Amino acid sequence: MALLEVDGLVKHFVAERSLFGRALAHVKAVDGVSFSLDAGKTLALVGESGCGKSTVSRLVLRLIEPDAGKIRFEGRDLLSLDAGALRAFRREAQIIFQDPYASLNPRMTVGQILTEPLALHNLAPPARRRERVEEILRLVGLEPRLARRYPHEFSGGQRQRIAIARALAVEPKLIICDEPVSALDVSIRSQILNLLRELQDRLGLAYIFVSHDLAVVKHIADHVAVMNLGQIVETAAADALFAAPNHPYSRALLSAIPVPKPRAKRSRIVLQGEIPSALNPPPGCRFHTRCPYVVDRCRSEMPQLVQDGIGHATACHRTSELPSSEAIVPTDGGFSPVLEKLVAAFSGGPEAVRGSGVSSLGTNPAQP
Amino acid sequence: MSASPLIEIKDLRIRFHGDDGRITYAVDGVDLSVANGATLGLVGESGCGKSVTSLAIMGLLPKQSAEISGAIRFDGFDLLKTSDQTLRDLRGNRLAMIFQEPMTSLNPSFTIGDQIVETILRHRGGSRRSARERAIDLLRRVHIPSPERRIDEYPHKLSGGMRQRVMIAMALACDPRLLIADEPTTALDVTLQAQILELMRELKAASGAAIILITHDLGVVAEVCDEVAVMYAGEIVERAPVDELFSAPQHPYTVGLLGSIPRLDHRAEQLATIEGMVPNMAQPPAGCRFAARCPFVLDACTKAPPPLVEVSPGHLSRCIRAPLERLVS
Repeated sequence: MALLEVDGLVKHFVAERSLFGRALAHVKAVDGVSFSLDAGKTLALVGESGCGKSTVSRLVLRLIEPDAGKIRFEGRDLLSLDAGALRAFRREAQIIFQDPYASLNPRMTVGQILTEPLALHNLAPPARRRERVEEILRLVGLEPRLARRYPHEFSGGQRQRIAIARALAVEPKLIICDEPVSALDVSIRSQILNLLRELQDRLGLAYIFVSHDLAVVKHIADHVAVMNLGQIVETAAADALFAAPNHPYSRALLSAIPVPKPRAKRSRIVLQGEIPSALNPPPGCRFHTRCPYVVDRCRSEMPQLVQDGIGHATACHRTSELPSSEAIVPTDGGFSPVLEKLVAAFSGGPEAVRGSGVSSLGTNPAQP
Repeated sequence: MSASPLIEIKDLRIRFHGDDGRITYAVDGVDLSVANGATLGLVGESGCGKSVTSLAIMGLLPKQSAEISGAIRFDGFDLLKTSDQTLRDLRGNRLAMIFQEPMTSLNPSFTIGDQIVETILRHRGGSRRSARERAIDLLRRVHIPSPERRIDEYPHKLSGGMRQRVMIAMALACDPRLLIADEPTTALDVTLQAQILELMRELKAASGAAIILITHDLGVVAEVCDEVAVMYAGEIVERAPVDELFSAPQHPYTVGLLGSIPRLDHRAEQLATIEGMVPNMAQPPAGCRFAARCPFVLDACTKAPPPLVEVSPGHLSRCIRAPLERLVS
């Protein structure tokens, strides 16, 4: 059984009201989204700003209430939970936000921040809480003595570790990561990505990973759902999607990934025109205004997600007629042979370099 | 054009005097030059001094708190010694800049047309009507649909990608010789990012302007730059032609950076990380500034600051262990 099943989720925000409070216009932030997620796996939601990916992540936790649809967590219907049961559910699903500067209370010490969830859910007797806080800090790679400090004393990367620690405090099964590394510098970003992965392996966590950085998504996700204007247009295993994106929108997204290789082979699809407003999404396929393969049918009839039999689903009328997706995703060719070795030596730390006998300049004893 | 560079920065040092009397060494002896028509990528992480360097070129650092020394030669001027009047004549004219956040760098209370026209009138003079025509033409060049209509809109009516294009149009208004782009695509979605990068390439080809692109995104660097300078803790630690930097970096910091980005074609279980923290720039370390985080460190590294030396033609590294291939062959 899947850990999380989402079926036909809808959320329309009221954008404008009349004088008497009647809704005049809606932002169709999420419009019929379905997916499922297994325990211990990572689903990435990708798409441009405003596609509804963050709204989905909040709906799943019932931080905002959906207008329609079903959410099941371990078979339980989340939407029917009363306040008490909902609070209990929060123990099982947590969220990490993009901005670690805004998501930690500046007036609480790290120890207090981490003790709060323990106390709220009564997870550890008061006498044991301090010990538990130290355990959690170690788990995310921070020294226990840091518990006495305030958030402002930490760097961005460390704050994100604290946010992760807070999420882990309740021993959840699912963590929503909403752009968890977007605000971080490259080298810090890799530390947090490594940490998320390690924690997943150790604790069997499932992640919903919301990101606009597709190389990061390829690195961390098992499954990817591509969203455009409140709908999923394509969903597949990460490797399958990056190998052969079907939907014209996914193709455009993936073709635009900047890769760290000069003169990388690519056939970039530069989308023309603006992203239509979610206030008034175009009829038919919501991508048709920007789609290079648009035909009349796309303008009137909304395509449904169609499975290809091996778990790759695409919502496009022309899936079978589109040109081959070969060479759409740019190739970065991995590392050059020299860089590969250098990175390995760099990651091995001082011991690895000395151990391989290269610490003395110029000499190179051939020992492993 | 001769081989003499368009802009040449010599031994640029910028210190900030804090309220508490502390001095922060933000930029410490930077030498850089960019040839006509070339694109230089300036990369590094938050606080490495890359943006401060660009603000110094533009003369935009606060005079009260920033102490600047060295020389920035551009077009026959030393930008650090010219009068404010001359600087104002250069800025927006031969020297232009686009910033990361197009919403905060456009004035919300004027239409985009007013803002572009102001630039043109200030530097080129002429009639308001002809300036407006030029503004419409510029908006068309940066692919803004129906520019005749858009020109009278206020910035808040435009999307992020549009605003960035307006910023570019404004920067190009007087055909600059040097364009400084500080994280021009960072706030944008990948599809818009692609459009803007494409646009920058196109405009560079058309105008022959030199570009200094400041970014932390090595993917963007690989795509548009000819040459790259990597900054760490106020210094340039490596400078190389773009191909070489990505295939055979010569500074451990660059190796760490390149190893820490996920690759599409290389599934690594673990990404490289750079352990530790950037040094406190109020008290920079005596030796190599990266030594404390460097896995290749030797005792000598912490004793004296390493010089920036040429490892191979055009490839400079501030590391006494370069060439690094020696360490792994």
